Amino acid sequence: MIEFQSVSKQYSAHAIALRDVTLNIAKGELVYLTGPSGAGKSTLMKMAAAIERPSSGRITVNGQDIGKLKKAGIPFLRRNLGLIFQDQRLLDDRDILANTMLPLLVTGAPRALAEQRARAALDKLGLLDRAKAHPLELSGGEQQRAAIARAIVNRPQIILADEPTASLDRVAAAKVIDALRAFHSAGVTCVISTHDEHVLTNAARVIRLEHGQVTGGAA
Amino acid sequence: MSPWLRQHGFALRAALSTARKAPGSFLFNVLVVAVALALPFAGLTLLDNVRPMSAQIAIDPEISLFIKTDATRAQAQALAPRLRQILKDSQASIVFVPREQALKALKNKSGLSDVLATLGDNPLPDSYVITLRGFSSARDAGRIDTLAQQMRAVPGVDAVQVDSAWIKKLAALLHVLHMALLLLGITLGVIVIAVVFNTIRLQVLTQREEIAVSKLLGATDNFIRRPFYYTGALLGLCAGAAALAAVTLALNPLNTAIAQLSQLYGSDFQLAPLAPGGIAILLAISAGLGLAGAMLSVWRHMARLH
Repeated sequence: MIEFQSVSKQYSAHAIALRDVTLNIAKGELVYLTGPSGAGKSTLMKMAAAIERPSSGRITVNGQDIGKLKKAGIPFLRRNLGLIFQDQRLLDDRDILANTMLPLLVTGAPRALAEQRARAALDKLGLLDRAKAHPLELSGGEQQRAAIARAIVNRPQIILADEPTASLDRVAAAKVIDALRAFHSAGVTCVISTHDEHVLTNAARVIRLEHGQVTGGAA
Repeated sequence: MSPWLRQHGFALRAALSTARKAPGSFLFNVLVVAVALALPFAGLTLLDNVRPMSAQIAIDPEISLFIKTDATRAQAQALAPRLRQILKDSQASIVFVPREQALKALKNKSGLSDVLATLGDNPLPDSYVITLRGFSSARDAGRIDTLAQQMRAVPGVDAVQVDSAWIKKLAALLHVLHMALLLLGITLGVIVIAVVFNTIRLQVLTQREEIAVSKLLGATDNFIRRPFYYTGALLGLCAGAAALAAVTLALNPLNTAIAQLSQLYGSDFQLAPLAPGGIAILLAISAGLGLAGAMLSVWRHMARLH
């Protein structure tokens, strides 16, 4: 489902984010990506979502070669991905329901359908009663769960969560990880990057990155 | 409804929502653009009213045809059939003016009878005065010149004078006004585009987080651009409507003043607002200018955001 073949990312002569990374994530897997700050976790996630392009090597996501993907094709790749960010990136000028509806509206889905599915997604994350609240009225944990609701509303095949628990307390982090595990149980491929060792408890597969190189769990 | 139409609906709602969120800013921009549009719209309204009026002016131009002084009276009068033949396609009256009558008229008109009396012989030639009818517009000046040319070629004719110069002047003046209005329209059109360009630039910068998030969620470039296009077109449309309303309202007091002036000339001339077809065209142009400004701005600033 996600394949990196000898992928490197170099921003400048002295800034090399990834070095010759090769890894394979199969459909339906739940994979944790861990390593210290600056190890290259976020860069790897960004490249999987075609936010950044590799300097060398080949990345395949959902059978599509990211390096060969034309600019116009990127939005259609992302519609099959659920992206979750450390800072949530919810839009403050609209309520949680409107934020959750956005991935469907950009595809041209009918408003009524988008609202129905957004409410269902918020319900799954225990946030339906906060649907009309604005992001700044929510706690950090609630904001992150709202971001998860937005990520899963278009029923993606892959969820890429970049440090989703980084700014949360233990209880809120556990809720977020439980939610992601629940989606994995429903058949969604999940990649979660984290440097929180507590999150890795009972993890089936952990890929470790250090200084831009995979040091374990690549196979 | 197709996804394409729904996305346009979404873009229109987003544009209206942007206007609703900052009504003061939107109205101010409408006002600025409306002021720029009002001047050419007023000019067009004036030209639209004056053009038919100029076409209706009854000018009955005259052609004075002078016979060579060595021609006999019989030879001079014999030219009449030839002149009628030249004027066969025109409504015209041909009056033969003997040289004696011309001198008498000159004496009566100019008050120079004493000076003329010292000349001895009558220096004036026999002549024809041809009054043309049905030549009622400035556009007919060219036809009058053609007739005069044909008359000059008639043997025995010494000179032909045409009083069509003022008609040409009127036509030229209208042409100059038309060109000036066109240039003014182009200049103010550029100003409208610049105002919309800047308005959309600010919106793109204000909404860059929304743009970035939408792109991450799978929005195409067109999806992101459309609300800005609609905002630009909406701004142009509202400004066009405001400018037309202002021009139409201004016609009332102007017509009161014009009525007093027209009465002095025995006319009932009044400035009328533009016809619905003209209004629709101007509104479409206004919306088009707004759209052009928005497209330029989005094209430039989205490229920078990438």
